[in-house]
Amino acid sequence: MPIENFEDFIKRVLEIVFWVLVFSPLVIFPLIFIVLPSMMGLIGIMIPGPIGVNDILAALADPLKSIPIMTEFMKTDFFKIAVFPGFTWAALIATGAILIERKLLAKMQLRVGPLYAGKFEGVLQPIADLLKLIAKEIIIPRRADKLAFWCIPFAAMAVGGALLAIVPVSKQWVVTNLDVGLVVAFAIMSFFPIIALVAGWASNSKYPFLGGLRALHQMVSYEIPLLLSALGVAVLAGSLNLVKIVETQSSIPFLLVQPLGAIVFFIALMAELERIPFDLPEAEPELVAGWMTEMSGMLFGVTQLAVYVKFYALAGLFTTLYLGGWYGPQILPPEMAEANAVIWFTVKTLAVMVLMMVPRGTMTRIRIDLMLKAGWGRLLFLAFVNIFIAIVVVQLGIVPR
Amino acid sequence: MADPAFIALSVITVIGAILALEAKELIYGALALGLSLSGMAGLFILLDAPFPAAFQITVYVGAVVVLILFTIMLVRREKWMQIGEKVAIPGVAGALAIVLGFGFLAYQSGFINSTGKENVVSSISVIGDQILSAYWPVLLVLALVLTASIVGALTLSKVEKE
Repeated sequence: MPIENFEDFIKRVLEIVFWVLVFSPLVIFPLIFIVLPSMMGLIGIMIPGPIGVNDILAALADPLKSIPIMTEFMKTDFFKIAVFPGFTWAALIATGAILIERKLLAKMQLRVGPLYAGKFEGVLQPIADLLKLIAKEIIIPRRADKLAFWCIPFAAMAVGGALLAIVPVSKQWVVTNLDVGLVVAFAIMSFFPIIALVAGWASNSKYPFLGGLRALHQMVSYEIPLLLSALGVAVLAGSLNLVKIVETQSSIPFLLVQPLGAIVFFIALMAELERIPFDLPEAEPELVAGWMTEMSGMLFGVTQLAVYVKFYALAGLFTTLYLGGWYGPQILPPEMAEANAVIWFTVKTLAVMVLMMVPRGTMTRIRIDLMLKAGWGRLLFLAFVNIFIAIVVVQLGIVPR
Repeated sequence: MADPAFIALSVITVIGAILALEAKELIYGALALGLSLSGMAGLFILLDAPFPAAFQITVYVGAVVVLILFTIMLVRREKWMQIGEKVAIPGVAGALAIVLGFGFLAYQSGFINSTGKENVVSSISVIGDQILSAYWPVLLVLALVLTASIVGALTLSKVEKE
């Protein structure tokens, strides 16, 4: 059926949606109830005795019977990595963050699109964005390095997702509880400039290349203050384990003990995330979109999602280090303590994200030489002062360890 | 004996090292070096030492490889070094001789037969205590070396400005 005008297009889309809705139960339900149990052995799930294949087949007829199977499934590592504190959750928050950011900026700058697109307050804007990106052709520059170019979005996504594995959403919901979680977070973060640099080089175009070089320049200026300001928290908590760091803050969040370190960490985090006023690597008026300029279609979509997943993960890291993670007043009934913890973590993380979005509407970009001066002249000095404050606080015994 | 994770990490490390030397494009060489160093970090994790593993990645992949990439992109000279066959063969032979020699010495020393369980230090606090008590001269020497290199770098940059 040739598509000649807009109505044909809408008809075609509706037709596709209809057939997908008709056929997807035929494919998805067998997949969930027959293929998944056979895969469970592969991903290390132990289904206890009472649940067997017969129960799974019975669950096909009666959905209520699938509840115990799902409860078992929720206890596995695979679920943690793929669904709840891991990828799907982060992707949902990232998509929400894109919407929030556009709406916030639209309110601050009186833009029309994100405020009124869709019936209610522009909620359909991210879906429209996604459809646009999927429909667009993927264009790769002729003289680009194809292998590296294709790898970039997925490498960015892998590194952003790796951060999710160590940030604890609550005491129970953490994918890997490492003894050296804080150092591992910095180890993962050190991959980001490589990705920006290789993306710039692989595109074989001057704007991405300049963007990549600027990403490196920026890393040189913020990486060390970032590490040193987080060191104060490690000194106070007496541990590099992120769960233990949160548990030390059960009575008082480190933001009140270490305001200086929190400010330095926040500023360096803004630079790490390449957000205005530190968005030199993707400066829009100068470099089109920096190291992402040549990305198109869904390659750009995946890269952008990776950037926002990283945004969520690092905001979660700030919450973990300074805002007391999942601790907060009990607002739900006492038997739902776990849900309460998750809600507090999410609320705090979203607050940090919104706080990081606000400068985008109000501030101008910092000059590149001032960035270096600020990083090495000011932030580094403040980070050292902060470490000494932490040592004094520990010696005086103000914070219980 | 044949732990698949160990074999996979060793293969990654060795192939990364070979690619780092042999890659036609310098950028791929630098990236392969990063791969090789990440494989080393994996070997540290297998040795129950996550702390050195994390710092291996932070320092070597995060700083050294990034600086190498930076230099390559700034200099941007494609064929500035010719690799001859003559150099490669004695080099490989020499490296093999050294590795086999050390391997033989290690085998002779009985190191392989010891389980090593009683010496496992996996907690960072234990490492910190050890560094500040038994190994304090090493720490002092390291600090002096770092200070000297910082002073040297500052002096060099001052000289270049004038």
